[in-house]
Amino acid sequence: MSELILKTEELGKVFKMGGRTIRALHEVNLQIKKGDFISIMGPSGSGKTTLLNMLGCLDKPTKGKVALDGKDVTKVSEKNLYKIRRHKVGFIFQTFNLMPYLNAIENVELPMEGTKRSRDEKKQRARELLKLVGLSEREDHRPHRLSAGEQQRVAIARALANNPSIVLADEPTGNLDVKTKYEVVRLLGKLNTEQGTTIIMVTHDSQIAAHAGRMLFLNDGKLLAKEKQGTHLAKDALKCPNCGRETQPDDTFCPRCGKQL
Amino acid sequence: MGTLTRAIRNVSRRKARTLLVVIALGFSMAIMISIPPGIVANQESTQSLTENYNNTLTNMQEEINKTATLIECRTSSGQGFPSGDRQGMPPFGSQQEAVYVNETVVDEIRSIEGVKDVVEFLEASSNETTSETISTPRGDFTVSRPICTITGVSLNSSFIENYSILPTEITSGRNLHEADSGVVLVSSNLTSYLGIEVDDEVEIYGESFTVVGIFEPTSQGRFETRIAYMNISDAQRITGNVGNVSRLDVYAESASDVDGIADVIEATYTDLYVTTYKDRLANLERMQEMYTETLSNAQSTIAQTQTTATQAIIIAIAATSLIVLFVMLYTVRERTKEIGTLKAIGFSNWNVMSQFMLEGILISLVAAAVGIAIGSVAAPTLTSLLLPHVSIFGTRSFLGPVNPGATASQAATVTLDPQWMLLAFGIAVLLGALGSLYPAWRASRTSPMEALKYE
Repeated sequence: MSELILKTEELGKVFKMGGRTIRALHEVNLQIKKGDFISIMGPSGSGKTTLLNMLGCLDKPTKGKVALDGKDVTKVSEKNLYKIRRHKVGFIFQTFNLMPYLNAIENVELPMEGTKRSRDEKKQRARELLKLVGLSEREDHRPHRLSAGEQQRVAIARALANNPSIVLADEPTGNLDVKTKYEVVRLLGKLNTEQGTTIIMVTHDSQIAAHAGRMLFLNDGKLLAKEKQGTHLAKDALKCPNCGRETQPDDTFCPRCGKQL
Repeated sequence: MGTLTRAIRNVSRRKARTLLVVIALGFSMAIMISIPPGIVANQESTQSLTENYNNTLTNMQEEINKTATLIECRTSSGQGFPSGDRQGMPPFGSQQEAVYVNETVVDEIRSIEGVKDVVEFLEASSNETTSETISTPRGDFTVSRPICTITGVSLNSSFIENYSILPTEITSGRNLHEADSGVVLVSSNLTSYLGIEVDDEVEIYGESFTVVGIFEPTSQGRFETRIAYMNISDAQRITGNVGNVSRLDVYAESASDVDGIADVIEATYTDLYVTTYKDRLANLERMQEMYTETLSNAQSTIAQTQTTATQAIIIAIAATSLIVLFVMLYTVRERTKEIGTLKAIGFSNWNVMSQFMLEGILISLVAAAVGIAIGSVAAPTLTSLLLPHVSIFGTRSFLGPVNPGATASQAATVTLDPQWMLLAFGIAVLLGALGSLYPAWRASRTSPMEALKYE
């Protein structure tokens, strides 16, 4: 049985805005095992990003707890949370959030600052990760010279820099075109299957969400009881489930059997 | 990729902004490093002025003490030596109508009881004149003055030995000797003006004279009289004044005889102006009063300078801090999302704070270097723009023309002190650190979640 890596208990978050109380999360109980690839779906305002922020130690819940690698991170002081974010969590953002004044390899090295790795080790690690995401040839390029898909792949490499326990992706395909978003989600799938990286991906795109192993649904801050198995395909993710022929990311119908994908 | 490298990249990323900030800070720095040397220069200038005055007064006092038995007798418009009743004289030795008396009076005066010696002089302007522009606080004006003043002296060896009838500061060649003829002893400013040296020939009133020596005029200043000493018979011949004199130095046997002799001369020779040590002492007292007032003005100017300088430095320091503060606040606001990202990927509060502080310090370092460069080049201009001038236009002493104002302005050159430049560099870095402290602290306290939402 896989090791439990992340667990939330009765997780709740309440915001107060101008005298109004907004319940962003309500008693969310979640268990993530090592090597899981989970997508969380839900409409805008359902609390997806709030949940991700709680899991990634960017925000503190008003109720409940989050246990990461068995440690209750809600009890860790604000001052020391950076250590958890640095070593246990990798973030992937919708808008990539690369540093415009750093090239690809420097962006990947960034989370390693403050770790015990030597300069050469950091560089070596960043090179390996860029190779993993297929950007070995682009390591000296600054973000403005990379395509959106390439920028997101650099961001994925950056998220993996410190070999985190869990990677949190907030709408990672939200700013990408159809073709590129499938490339990115396929890369996430590949990392999950080949590297065993635990990934939690928030999206409102059901087709993208379907590439995860488990699909969870969030509505009005509540985690719905229904849960769906995703295709969880890396290499095979774009094959027609009916005839097995490879399809293109933007195909709606299989070009061979003509059935809806 | 260290914090410093990232700070350098960030500072250089927004070139136009960095440039504007650096120029603004640079000027503040330039003001900071230019003003103190400006004050020092003004103080030195005043010090030099004081010393100059004191030296002049001491020399005059010594001269008066040495010449207690001297009675100066001049024709009404003799050259050069202002006395109490000649305060309205035009400055810088403008040419005046020469008046002479026949030297037959010498024997008559010598026969007055109590008179020891009478030394004859003939003072006349050269026949050639020159136009010169003079800059004063009241504006520039042009004066026409003789190229030099000719002083013919009775070259009697006992006179030369016993009385100060010839200059003593010989810088080149020799002094005049008894019975010298066809030779001149010239002042250094005349040699500079004519471009001549010892043993050169100089033409005066159409006659050629050999320069045997050069002396340094006792007074300082740019417009002191250019003088050529020669035998009185040569002077009389070339100026067409054979048998005439313009000045007689009458020496009494003792100081107690001076007043009696002066009274007799004044009563007998009404066209002679008589000056005794009492007149010279009165003149010295007037000069002392004038110098005291001038120095008091200078001190007041210095005090005003220091107040202005203090204000300017405070403004420069405040401006520097505020510029850094606002620029860094703007930078933090502009890069809120970047801060959120850095914190999300594991940067500590200290990592973020040090990043922004380093950027502020880096801008200040560059600005300090630029400021020192601007200051090095523009310190005199900045000082003259920001600080009042210590420029007191001088007057003439009875020993010769003195122009302390000119001397002071020449001395007031601004020299930047390396120690002060180093201190200013340190202050700039400190101000950069202080100015970026709050913005950096604010950046470090930014909630990563809120920062990531920022657009």
